[in-house]
Amino acid sequence: MSDEGRIDGYARALFEVARAEGTLDEVEDELFRFARTYESSDTLRDALTDEMVPAAMRQKVVEDLLGGGNATPTTVQLVSMVVGSGRGRDLPAIIDSLVQRASSSKNLEVAEVRSAVPLTDDQRDRLKAALTNATGKQVNLKVIVDPSVLGGIVATVGDTVIDGSVRTRVDQLKSRL
Amino acid sequence: MRFVSAILIAAAEEPHRDDNGQIVTHHWLLPEQAEIIYGTISSLLIFALLYKFGAPPIKKGLAGRTERIRAELDASAAALAAAEAEAAEIRQAKGDIEEERLRLLAAAEAEAEALLTDGRARLEVELAELEARAAADLEAAAGRSGDELRSEMIRTAGASLESVVADTLDDATQQDLIESFIARVGAST
Repeated sequence: MSDEGRIDGYARALFEVARAEGTLDEVEDELFRFARTYESSDTLRDALTDEMVPAAMRQKVVEDLLGGGNATPTTVQLVSMVVGSGRGRDLPAIIDSLVQRASSSKNLEVAEVRSAVPLTDDQRDRLKAALTNATGKQVNLKVIVDPSVLGGIVATVGDTVIDGSVRTRVDQLKSRL
Repeated sequence: MRFVSAILIAAAEEPHRDDNGQIVTHHWLLPEQAEIIYGTISSLLIFALLYKFGAPPIKKGLAGRTERIRAELDASAAALAAAEAEAAEIRQAKGDIEEERLRLLAAAEAEAEALLTDGRARLEVELAELEARAAADLEAAAGRSGDELRSEMIRTAGASLESVVADTLDDATQQDLIESFIARVGAST
């Protein structure tokens, strides 16, 4: 089986489990945030993908991170299962595929929003409405707090990128320099 | 003549027996007359035969020997002439060898001189190229240093800019930026 097929298989399995548990929205959101954290942290990535570390130890890392009320038990179990099976390296791709699948099941388009500071619920709602208005699609908003953005927001809906970040303006200024 | 007559007279004497009955000749040295006559005749006959049959081969042998000696003399003369000719050739060859040696030496010297001249010319060209390359390298290095300096300045300016911007972005500004983005996106269709 190809990597793509394997990733899709895992995503489908996670999706079915979350939907059966009735916590799809919550699990999807938690998994999405965990995937972004995983991508931005070299230490976490190394700990969850190191073949020299026993699978039980890797799963304990996941439980310590997401347990204690940080995520639903379903999310903890699903991530632990993927990491325990040695597919930690594919975790972001699996989760992205799951999010895509979940959004498609609700006829939504994933809108990945990166902001330097957290958004309030009101801002999320208005941003969601604004993106729906701008793209003409119902969106499944996924907010990532990313300090590298510096200020403002970068929103990606499908192939469309709406960039209002300070980072881009600073980079443009650097280029002009 | 008297000696011959005496011999002939003595030879005419008959041999006689002595007291013991032994035959005694008339002279202890000279033969009997008849023996002289027959001996002389046979000797003459032998000489005649020898002259008749022996002289031609002897003459022929002598002539052949003379011819052989002459041929040997001619061969010696020819050998001498050949040796002299060869000696002359050797002397000439020796002269030629000396001439060839001098010619080769001259050619070698000329070639060495040409090589030296060519080498000097090539060296000068290479030297000029090296100098030009060194000058170009120096110029490039100077340009690179300038570029690196400019890059460093830009990098430092960029870092300073980022730092200043980050310091400027307080919570209120962040919220303004977010609100501004939402308004801008909401206004677009």
